[in-house]
Amino acid sequence: MAQGAELRQKIKEVMVEELMLDFDAAEIADETAIFGAGGLGLDSVDALQLVVAIEKHFGLKIADAEKAKGVLQSVETIAKAIEAKD
Amino acid sequence: MSSILITGGNGGLGSGIGRYFLEKDPEAKVWLGVRSNRSQAEALAAEFSGRCALINLEVTSKESWESAVASILEADGRLDVLVNNAGLHRDHLLATMPDEAWTSVISANLDAVFLGCRAVIRPMMSQRFGRIINISSLSAILPPLGQTNYAAAKAGVVALTQTLAKEVARAGITVNAILPGYIATEALAHMDEEAAKRAKSGIPMRRFGTPVEVASAVLFLACHDAGYVTGSALKIDGGIF
Repeated sequence: MAQGAELRQKIKEVMVEELMLDFDAAEIADETAIFGAGGLGLDSVDALQLVVAIEKHFGLKIADAEKAKGVLQSVETIAKAIEAKD
Repeated sequence: MSSILITGGNGGLGSGIGRYFLEKDPEAKVWLGVRSNRSQAEALAAEFSGRCALINLEVTSKESWESAVASILEADGRLDVLVNNAGLHRDHLLATMPDEAWTSVISANLDAVFLGCRAVIRPMMSQRFGRIINISSLSAILPPLGQTNYAAAKAGVVALTQTLAKEVARAGITVNAILPGYIATEALAHMDEEAAKRAKSGIPMRRFGTPVEVASAVLFLACHDAGYVTGSALKIDGGIF
């Protein structure tokens, strides 16, 4: 499993592909907020897709909404959760 | 290969839809969701051995849905199409409707669709493809006397369908409803000749529909090329307005 910068790049690519985002993976910074104004501006439908995509590509199961809130803040928080699993 | 789950797989409409998939699509693998009655489904599975199988499914049970979907995913590695077809009538005038007639009809016709859709959404999202076809009823928009329970449930199915269609549109999943009118299945078997004559007189085509005429619409909505059709409610009723 990828780690560090490689993992973060892969997460961005998965987000762009699975969520059909209209910008490049390179435009997403590790710390950019995924939800809300000023960030990527994704919504709850994207969140569900992202949960499914993270499990599919990285094997991290996010079982409940509380855990999702913590993990899905930025690429960095997603990467840390995946690294902690490994 | 397309993996297809049809609930109410032992009924005339459910097995008719299953047969149509099997005859028209050589790549189709059909799972017939059944409960206690299974003779019609067993006959179809025997006729299309290797491409059609029965699966135990109590549509009002969350656990039963989870188990059935897990079994299908284990066997086929995917689940492409869900046809929520199971349902039941318990007609009474509202003033004299027993509580049980209300709750059982809402449960079998509406709760079951909710549970089924929820059980398949994640696998379909993961494969970025899915087709959900919910069999509602013409009663959802033209309710006859005595069907407050059934009409409310079937109207709920249409509303659920249209809401879910928006929620999963970006994930490559379409969700559509079909509203059959009078279809010649065992559900009409209770009708005597005089009642059937009266019913037909109210249908512009002057005849009941056939399971094939519903199944062909299901097959269309399930196909890859129908990928831009979602949230629709298609009447199949011989022209009743």
